[in-house]
Amino acid sequence: MRSDREKAERMDVWIGSILGIGVGLSAALLLAGLIGQWVATGHPELHYQLQGTNLFQFWISDIREVTSRSFHPQLFVNLGIALLMMTPYLRVLASLLYFFIIEHNWKYTLFTGFVLAVLTYSLFLR
Amino acid sequence: MSYPLLWVISVAAGFVGAMSGMGGGVVLIPALTFFGLPIKQAIAVSIVSVIATSSGSAAAYVRDHLTNLKVGMFLEMFTILGALAGATLAVHANQRVLFILFGLVLMGSWLALFYRRHEDWQPVDHQDAFSHWLELEGSYPDDVTGQEIHYRAIRAYFGAPLMFGAGMVAGLLGVGAGALKVLIHDLVMGLPPKVSTTTSNLIIGVTALAGTSDFLANGLIDPGLTVPVVLGILVGAFLGTRLLLRLPDKSVRMFFLVVLATLSLEMIYRGIRGAS
Repeated sequence: MRSDREKAERMDVWIGSILGIGVGLSAALLLAGLIGQWVATGHPELHYQLQGTNLFQFWISDIREVTSRSFHPQLFVNLGIALLMMTPYLRVLASLLYFFIIEHNWKYTLFTGFVLAVLTYSLFLR
Repeated sequence: MSYPLLWVISVAAGFVGAMSGMGGGVVLIPALTFFGLPIKQAIAVSIVSVIATSSGSAAAYVRDHLTNLKVGMFLEMFTILGALAGATLAVHANQRVLFILFGLVLMGSWLALFYRRHEDWQPVDHQDAFSHWLELEGSYPDDVTGQEIHYRAIRAYFGAPLMFGAGMVAGLLGVGAGALKVLIHDLVMGLPPKVSTTTSNLIIGVTALAGTSDFLANGLIDPGLTVPVVLGILVGAFLGTRLLLRLPDKSVRMFFLVVLATLSLEMIYRGIRGAS
C-alpha cells in the first residue's frame, strides 16, 4: 500500500510531464510549420486568418486534414495552437482522474469536475 | 508588423517575464501596442503565449513538489469564472478603457512587488475551519536549508472571491495576472512565497485557456502573430530562467520595478490621450 505522500508525489510527476510534453510538442509543431513555410515560399511569414471556431471543431478539422494526408505548413501551425490549448485542459482532466480513482477524495473530485465542466463549456463556445 | 521585430519583442518579453516571475504578458502587450498593433490583437496573442509560458514553467515546479495542487484546484473554480467574464467584456470593450485598465493593473502589480521586496514568511499558528476542511496545507523541500517546510493556508473564504477578480483581470487584459494572484496567496491566504508563486503559475494556465477560447471563437487568434510570439517568448523565458539563478534577487527585483513603473505610466497616458 502506497502512502498518501507517495501517491501525491507520483501525481506531481504525472502532471508535470503532461504539461512539459504538451508545451514541448506544441512548440515543435509551430516551429515545423514556420520552417515548412520558409522552405515552401522563401519567407517565414504566415498570412492567414483562423475563422471563429471552438477548440473541438478546430481539432476535428485538423484531424480531418491529417487523415486526408494534406500536410502543409498551416496544418502544423494549427495543430501546434490546438495542442497548446489542449495542454491545461488535459492537466485538469488528469487531476480529476487522480482525485477520483487514486485518492478517492470526493470533495476535490467535485471541485476539479466543476473546473473541467466550466472549461469544457468555454471551449464549446460558439 | 515585421517578423524580426516580433521576435525581438517576444524574446525580450519572455526574458523579462521569467526574471520577474510574472509571465510575459505585462511586457508583451505594451511593446506590441507601442509598435502599432491594436490592443485587442495584442491581448489575444498575449493570452495564447501565457498558456505556453505558464505550462512550461509549471511542468518543472509541479515536479519539484513546490506547487500545491489542492490550493490550485480550489481557487481555479473562481478564477476560471472570472476569466470567462473578463474575456467576454474584452471583446466588446473600448480600446481606451483597456489601456487605462492595463496601466492600473501594472501599477497594482508594481505595488505587489514593491510590498514583497523583503520577503519573510512565517507559518500561521491557527488555521480557520473552512481552510482546514478544504485540506489547504502541504510541505515542500527547501533548497537553501535542506529542510522540509510545512505550511497551512488560511482565509480561503476571502481568497476565493478575490481570485474571481484576478481571473476577470486576466481574461479582460490578456495577462496571467500573476502578480495579483501571488498577492492574494501571500497576503490573504498566508502561503509561503515559493508556493504562492508556483501555484499562481499553475492556475494561470487554466485562466488563460478559458480566455483564449473566447478569442478563438471570435476569430481573433492570428496564427501569423501567434507563431513567432509563442516561440520567441518560450526562448526568452528559457534564457531568463537560466540567468535568474545567477543574479542576486535584489537587482532582479529593482530592474523589474523600474520597468513596470515605466510601462504602467505609459499605458495610462496613452489611454487618456486616446491613441491606440
